[in-house]
Amino acid sequence: MSEPIKQLFRFILFLLVQALVLSNMPPVHRFITPYLYFLFLLWMPFFMTRGWLLIIGFVFGFSLDLFTKTPGLHASACLVIAYIRPFLINLLVPRETKELTLGSPGIRSMGTGSYSFYVVVLTLLHHGWLIFLEWMTFASFTYFIGKVFFSTLVSLLLILITELLFRPIKRAASR
Amino acid sequence: MRNVFLLIRRFSLLLLFLLLQVLSISLLVKYSKSHQARYMELSYELTGRINKKYATTIGYLTLGENNRLLAEENNRLRNQSGINFTRIDTSAKPVKDTSRLDSTTVIRKFLWRTAHVINNSVSTQNNMITLERGRNQGIQPEMAVMAAGGIVGLVTDVSDNMAVVMSLLHRKSVTSVMLKKGSITGILDWDGRNPMLLQLKGIPKSTVLKKGDTVLTSNISLNYPPALMVGTIASFEPEKAGNNYTINVKPGANFYSLDYVDVIENMLLKEQQELERRAKKQ
Repeated sequence: MSEPIKQLFRFILFLLVQALVLSNMPPVHRFITPYLYFLFLLWMPFFMTRGWLLIIGFVFGFSLDLFTKTPGLHASACLVIAYIRPFLINLLVPRETKELTLGSPGIRSMGTGSYSFYVVVLTLLHHGWLIFLEWMTFASFTYFIGKVFFSTLVSLLLILITELLFRPIKRAASR
Repeated sequence: MRNVFLLIRRFSLLLLFLLLQVLSISLLVKYSKSHQARYMELSYELTGRINKKYATTIGYLTLGENNRLLAEENNRLRNQSGINFTRIDTSAKPVKDTSRLDSTTVIRKFLWRTAHVINNSVSTQNNMITLERGRNQGIQPEMAVMAAGGIVGLVTDVSDNMAVVMSLLHRKSVTSVMLKKGSITGILDWDGRNPMLLQLKGIPKSTVLKKGDTVLTSNISLNYPPALMVGTIASFEPEKAGNNYTINVKPGANFYSLDYVDVIENMLLKEQQELERRAKKQ
């Protein structure tokens, strides 16, 4: 499958899963809202320029906002991670890997340690920003911290499951 | 001048980021006011069909629960009907007056319309419900919405074929309610924590309360007909500083499985509002 079509497919799939399944789930606890959709932005290939990343991030977040009737909320959070992402990648990925492979951030291209760091930082940023905006009007600090912490944990768990399901690490021996 | 352009080019990405960020946040902040209607139209155009498909599918899964609620409601209504009552005195016949001929004394105050729920949320702080029935089908803002188990919220915005309802599970939702026992009125709102519990305020400590007491819509509510089911008291405790109880109310409607709801129009609403406004001016 060519890269643009693959990305478009992912765009729609992540959007629908978030809007129709995860956002519609009865809440487990008041601290927990599961988010997975932003993984789409984390999985964008390396060769995306920063400008395009910002624009796609905005469009993607806004598409989810159309479903959840919160104009600008998710768009804003997506913009934050789309903006921070290149800095993190520059920090974590050696320049040669980035130029040589057409790949995208993942365990195979970055190594387990770097990739985990990348995912955890961006997830925290996304949740922190999103929940900060959501709670600005009726701030209770413990609530804010608690929700960021536990929602991040749940999201990381979801990301781990998604990684294992859809992008398993292929061992050299099995080939 | 050249330096300015250089500066803009240098920081173009940061500027793009800030521009889009400002755009999203201003959208978010202004949503509750003027942009709401236009955004709604756009949103329906794009997501309406998907939401409708989804609602139909999910509707199947909650059929059992909804049937039970409807059966209970039918039972309640049948019990109110005139044929259930009799008089021992054989000279009197029980008659339920249904005639509308005498239009000088009886006028219709409330009109009920059914509507299908096509989008619903319970997991956020400000939950909204979308109905597939709008301006063209007679829905207007400020109409009340009731499901089989109890009241659900108020219509806040309509487009041609859809309406958005501010659920009781919304931080800005405020409803005038009363206790069934003693008709003491209070204010019902939601603290955003647990979607199974609403908060009832303004009931004085002198009231005798019991767990399970029924809470109804008050008879001074503008939007709701009086004495509609709201929920039952789940727990209560006296306020430390104030003179009132804080009461947790378990809503009668099941917000997780809304399927078909009734939209209730108060046909005298405008008249009452106008009169009260005029009285205030004097």
